Amino acid sequence: MSTLNLSVIRKLVQISAFVFFVYGGLITGYYLEEKLSGALPALSCAYDFQGSDLCTLIPIQHQMDHRLGETIAKGGNLLMGVMPTLITLGTFLVLFVILNKAFCGWLCPLGTFQELLQMIGQKIGLQRQESLSKSLVAKVRPVKWFILVLLVFGFPLLTGMGMLNHDLGDPFCKICPSRILTTLATGSTEQLHVDTANATTITLTLFADFLFGLMLALGLTLRQPFCRICPMLALHAVFRKMGLLRLIKNASPRCDRCGLCAKACPMDIHEIHTDMTSRNVTFEDCTLCGRCVEFCPDKNVLQLKYAFIPLFSADPQYFKKRKKAQTNWEKQNLIAWFGNKESKRRAEPS
Amino acid sequence: MKPSNLAIMLATLLLPPTGAVVAEEEQNLKSKKPAASHGHRGAKTFHIDNLDGAKITYIQPDLSSQTITPVMGKVTMPVSGVDNYHALVVEKDWGDHKEVIIRYQYMFGRPSKQNPVRLTAAQKSEFEIVPDPLPREHYRYHSQQTWGFLARYQGELLSNHPLTLTTSNGSEQTLYTDEHGRVTFQIPDDFPGLTEGERSKQTAQLTISGEYQQSDTNHSTQLVADYRVNPSHWQSTELGLLVLGIGFLAGGYLGQNLKNRDKKA
Ligand code: SF4
Ligand code: SF4
Ligand code: SF4
Repeated sequence: MSTLNLSVIRKLVQISAFVFFVYGGLITGYYLEEKLSGALPALSCAYDFQGSDLCTLIPIQHQMDHRLGETIAKGGNLLMGVMPTLITLGTFLVLFVILNKAFCGWLCPLGTFQELLQMIGQKIGLQRQESLSKSLVAKVRPVKWFILVLLVFGFPLLTGMGMLNHDLGDPFCKICPSRILTTLATGSTEQLHVDTANATTITLTLFADFLFGLMLALGLTLRQPFCRICPMLALHAVFRKMGLLRLIKNASPRCDRCGLCAKACPMDIHEIHTDMTSRNVTFEDCTLCGRCVEFCPDKNVLQLKYAFIPLFSADPQYFKKRKKAQTNWEKQNLIAWFGNKESKRRAEPS
Repeated sequence: MKPSNLAIMLATLLLPPTGAVVAEEEQNLKSKKPAASHGHRGAKTFHIDNLDGAKITYIQPDLSSQTITPVMGKVTMPVSGVDNYHALVVEKDWGDHKEVIIRYQYMFGRPSKQNPVRLTAAQKSEFEIVPDPLPREHYRYHSQQTWGFLARYQGELLSNHPLTLTTSNGSEQTLYTDEHGRVTFQIPDDFPGLTEGERSKQTAQLTISGEYQQSDTNHSTQLVADYRVNPSHWQSTELGLLVLGIGFLAGGYLGQNLKNRDKKA
């Protein structure tokens, strides 16, 4: 079937994964013990009681607060304090090695939602923000590391040590858009609120709601706005060389001039175009979505490989078809439709 | 002792646990300074006045159990070292009248790797009221929420059976179980002295009780649990929506700005 390209297959996988991670708890079970891993490398939210798993960031924050932080405060055995986090990271790694950053590009409910937003924006006919400039991308990239270090590890640890107030025990969860999205998706408005308990909760909830609204609007015209600052992306980046699935580049002299891959990349990773030396081009922001491979017109220059086995390789024939499908898809939108109708009406003799 | 003593026994078990959690919360309530968040892993103690002849069993998540001896009218759920729900079962047999009080308590510790369903499914007394489900691990009952409970006699679900919810704040409501032996109560929003917009860490107790007559024996059972003030008293969804809207407008403006900037570049 000519319409069945990698992007369509990925969308089907993403939507199935969304349904499974957001509502799958109705099958897997309600209690935490019944969730799949408890350390998923994607933002499947623990606040969604109907979910089938929870992301690895919530146990890490709680362990920093209640285990390591408390152990340090009490002068206890540090190894025991850090052990739960090592177990969580171990579970995360077992899963991560299997799919690497594809947890983002193929399975994460919040990643999928942002892509759906983009599709909605496109179908309305809103003009899409093409690739962001290199300088802006360079400015945004460090943010995810700050969020990972401060909000996932730092503040919870200091809270456990008694240096910050209790409401900073899980600060990333308090601003995480997946918490609001997935609970709203199950019909609960409980997580969309401003909490007036104290200055910390007011600040965190104001920021969370604002960020969610910002993501909704930006997502209509800009690809993956939240992913660019997501601490899970940073955590993935630390371990990305260990994943079996990877993006491989066999650079050819033509690469230098084309740049179609970078233009196709939803994360604006210009380096896949400009890097002529690395073979493994799974860069820190990559979500292994495979779009760059689809839009590379040179045979086998870009490949998605599982260990040493090529799963999907750039191909000139595929490229042609894919480009045509994309042009057709982008042509069809509400504004264009109204425009056509209007011009037809004018053209008709009265 | 006469069956009327049940009331005394119940009232006493209803008193809040004097464990480290409460101590920590009291400290947090009184002090403006941040407190180290340790302490929630301790034993839980309950005052019980009239324990003559009562059998007290403490059941761990893996269903291993131990008998507890009260000390000076207090029952302590000891630290088992593992996390998840544990059950405290207090039974009295008066011959023609059997009474039981059951409390499920979440305890902290190393992972028990046990599903709380094991504990709720296990028969802890002939006639018992079982949470269906228990609040998920790390969560609690809150006012305004609806929760399901099952009435079970010797493992069989009892349909069309009256159960009564009472709270230490003075509310009372009786409902009948459906054909699957299930009843859904809305926990009353009955905490006194709340100020809208201000967080309250008050805890109260709810009891779901029922009676069942079998031959010459009358069974009475109580499920006892803590509940807290619903955070909706200080969490505003309307304000949340408003802020979301402001974020949305800001996102639209920012998106437009980015495009214009790129066009100029
Ligand atoms: S709020 Fe975000 S970080 Fe926290 S559990 Fe949910 S998805 Fe994970
Ligand atoms: S980077 Fe995006 S896709 Fe990956 S975990 Fe974060 S929100 Fe999900
Ligand atoms: S580099 Fe390729 S695989 Fe990675 S995010 Fe960009 S388009 Fe997707």
